[in-house]
Amino acid sequence: MSVADVAASGGLQATRVTKRFGGVVAVDAVSLDLRPGEIHGLIGPNGSGKTTLLNLLSGYYAIDDGTIVLDGETLNRTPVQRRPFLGVARTFQKPRLLGSLSVLDNAMLGGWRDARAGFVGTALALGRARRDDAVLRARALELLHGVGLGGVLDRRANQLDHAEQRFLEIARGLAMRPRFILLDEPAGGLTEHEIEQLARVVTTLRDGGIGVLVVEHHTDFVFRICDRVTTLNLGRMIAQGSPQHVRNDPEVIRVYLGA
Amino acid sequence: MNLRNPRLPLLVAGAVAAVTLPFWAGDVYRVHLATLIAAYWILVSGLNLVVGFTGLLSVGHVGLLAIGAYAFAILAGTHEINPFVSLVIAGGVGGVCGFLLGLPSLRLPGFYFAMATLAFALIVTEVTLAQQELTGGGAGIAVPGFGGPFESPDGFYWLVAGIAVLFTVFTWNVSRRMWGRAMIALRDSDVAAASVGVPVYKVKLTTFTFSGVAAGVGGALFGALQSYITPETFVFELGMFFFICIVIGGRGVILGPFVGTIVLTALPEFVAPLANLGQFFYGALLLIVVLLVPEGIGHVFTWLRERRSPRTTDKQVVTPDLERLAAAIRAGREA
Repeated sequence: MSVADVAASGGLQATRVTKRFGGVVAVDAVSLDLRPGEIHGLIGPNGSGKTTLLNLLSGYYAIDDGTIVLDGETLNRTPVQRRPFLGVARTFQKPRLLGSLSVLDNAMLGGWRDARAGFVGTALALGRARRDDAVLRARALELLHGVGLGGVLDRRANQLDHAEQRFLEIARGLAMRPRFILLDEPAGGLTEHEIEQLARVVTTLRDGGIGVLVVEHHTDFVFRICDRVTTLNLGRMIAQGSPQHVRNDPEVIRVYLGA
Repeated sequence: MNLRNPRLPLLVAGAVAAVTLPFWAGDVYRVHLATLIAAYWILVSGLNLVVGFTGLLSVGHVGLLAIGAYAFAILAGTHEINPFVSLVIAGGVGGVCGFLLGLPSLRLPGFYFAMATLAFALIVTEVTLAQQELTGGGAGIAVPGFGGPFESPDGFYWLVAGIAVLFTVFTWNVSRRMWGRAMIALRDSDVAAASVGVPVYKVKLTTFTFSGVAAGVGGALFGALQSYITPETFVFELGMFFFICIVIGGRGVILGPFVGTIVLTALPEFVAPLANLGQFFYGALLLIVVLLVPEGIGHVFTWLRERRSPRTTDKQVVTPDLERLAAAIRAGREA
């Protein structure tokens, strides 16, 4: 698929992106395109550059080489705080929630891009801040019920168990109304049953037209739900394609899956 | 976020007590003390958004207090401008100085930011000493009152208390809306804040500027209450005092720091042995709070409530409602 095709279909495309930390090349000329309405898996051994690539896509690190394009627009220099406004959301390997706030408040924070009221207007209690809150609260409520946290809306986030924290991060990301969401090891630490629920949530996102990038070690989970899979090793891409294709790739078996 | 119904009767009782204070306080000195608390609280309410919500360690707000007080003294006293106009300008000057201080220093990481605010407070003291023609130097400067009905101690108390209520309402409005959530996000996880698009620097600068306005207004009223100010009035310990009021009161709440301001200002006045201890009392109280209730006295109430009705934390399995999720995603697309 050429650059023009991806731009036409709308997508988040990384082309030959490279990131160096000192002398180490963490991501070495990796290309990956994430299309709306698809689940793209990113797998590889520890230290292969998966999370680094995710951090490049979400803007936490600046890329040293290559391009990142969203709908034909170059994002290379777009700061991390602007990416949510362009429709790119993410979650974290270790959930980063606001422990002292309720589940509902945490999810509402995700709607920041749609908060229109300024500081002075909010201080003076002009109607806009209240309307912002009402809209974002309603949206967060629906999403929290949707991911299965409807029963713990008022619980402080630091009292949640691990699975609830993971699902809350997804709800917060969805409150941004993203077109792409990047999930960093969403199945990490979850039970079999919880992974099953996660799979249902992620496929629902895809069916809703969202492009989902899943960085994951649970290969069963990845091969089951992903439409395409990219495998990294030592910062380089070693295989890309359908789950079937990647699963049977001899190089992937050698460095990651094992015989 | 922080106003729950069970607290409402308490708040109403507090409001009635505050309004009627001059009638039951007994003597003029106590009214003076209450006015002082109200003036301090105007500054602390703004600083609370900076320290308690946004998590920025500013220890130099005494410098902004001094700027407000001197601006008011020079405008209303030396230039005989209407005191209310002077008050508004003093708030504006405080805001501008807060903005100019925050502009470079808010880029610094926590510890260095605290050092920058400390340096600012020290510089303000030196400037007020050096600018003799403007500030009276070490000899100080007289600060006029507001005249008319506000000349009496009772009248002035009501004026300052009224303005304090106004600032409390401002901060309460901010704290319970998206801005409040964004501030707490900057305090607890700036990575998470940036990931949802919160403009980190802009929110910090706006909050800090607001705290400058509050400090300027509080300083003007503080100066008018003291009626004479010198650089000695604005010792660095006062800046620490404001900071400690918030730490003891608790982070991310409004009532706690308010109670902290009252307790720390009034207690040494009423309990004579404590007054003899002076700074030692503040130090000991700070140590007790940090060691025993690190979340501050504001959270003791929450803690007591949770003890009384322990939450059943039975493990419940997350069960997504996929149709509702799909509908919510569709709604997001169309919004």
